[in-house]
Amino acid sequence: MIAPAPHSPQPARERMLHVVQGEFAVTSEPDVVLTTILGSCVATCMWDAVAGVGGMNHYLLPGDADSSGDSMRYGVNAMELLVNGLLQKGASRRRLQAKLFGGAHVVHNLGDVGVKNAEFAQRFLRLEGIPCLGQSLGGDRARRVRFWPTTGRAGQLLLDSTHQEVFSSESSRRPAPAEPHNPAAGSVELF
Amino acid sequence: MPAAAAIKVLVVDDQLTMRALIRSALQEIGFKDIADAQDGEEGLKSLLTRPAHLVISDFNMPKLDGLGLLRAVRANESTKKAAFIMLTGRADKDLVQRAMQFGVNNYVTKPFSPAQLRQKIQEVFGPLT
Repeated sequence: MIAPAPHSPQPARERMLHVVQGEFAVTSEPDVVLTTILGSCVATCMWDAVAGVGGMNHYLLPGDADSSGDSMRYGVNAMELLVNGLLQKGASRRRLQAKLFGGAHVVHNLGDVGVKNAEFAQRFLRLEGIPCLGQSLGGDRARRVRFWPTTGRAGQLLLDSTHQEVFSSESSRRPAPAEPHNPAAGSVELF
Repeated sequence: MPAAAAIKVLVVDDQLTMRALIRSALQEIGFKDIADAQDGEEGLKSLLTRPAHLVISDFNMPKLDGLGLLRAVRANESTKKAAFIMLTGRADKDLVQRAMQFGVNNYVTKPFSPAQLRQKIQEVFGPLT
């Protein structure tokens, strides 16, 4: 289910803040746009529209993403860092909402790790009672995601298979590659 | 050498998933008598009605945070002897300093494995059977 997010007037100048694998960012600054690029990783975009604060994490569960081992602990920790970061900036737990992106099957020798990353995020939100207002998970294409954290607006651009820099960026935790001039991947979808 | 099964534990964390993970790790270590609470306020109420030997508490929680719970536990005659282990994030060095001032027994940095949790508990209670 995809629900439109409330739109607010765009600040005159936006500042892009890229969230790399294993990291998270939280902000209440309306001119900041959180960005990331995802293959089999998942990004959780979470916000409290009343408090005007939001954030994003970007994780890849280690191992085979089983439900009780290291991967579960890693995933819960990634989520907790984001939730706690939001609460520390004035968000209310009961007002938190989320959107999920990623979990694609883009590297064949990684098995279905993308699916398991996505399933973990969905299960976490369900168990913690955090509504998921929109999601784009799975498939076989990488995503470039933008998230406006104070309003909950999000957009994604599906990338084509020639964007190998997406995967090298994810695996090396380098900053994102530059915006493609001609993404050949279609239009931006808003969530 | 204390038996883990004889130690009463209270787990305090506002995230259901984290409480479940900690409970699972404690059971793996051998603890059997485990209660939980979703914030410091509820944790304190629990301690007053069901005394525990060990409190494992998150720091960031609504109503009463981990530091507030620690202070309340140390201030109450019936709970002040409970061992208190604080769960912290990777950047909480200031918190650890403050918690030590208020009498925390140990701390665990998240994410942690059952083996790491066992080690931290044994640093307080000695080797567990």
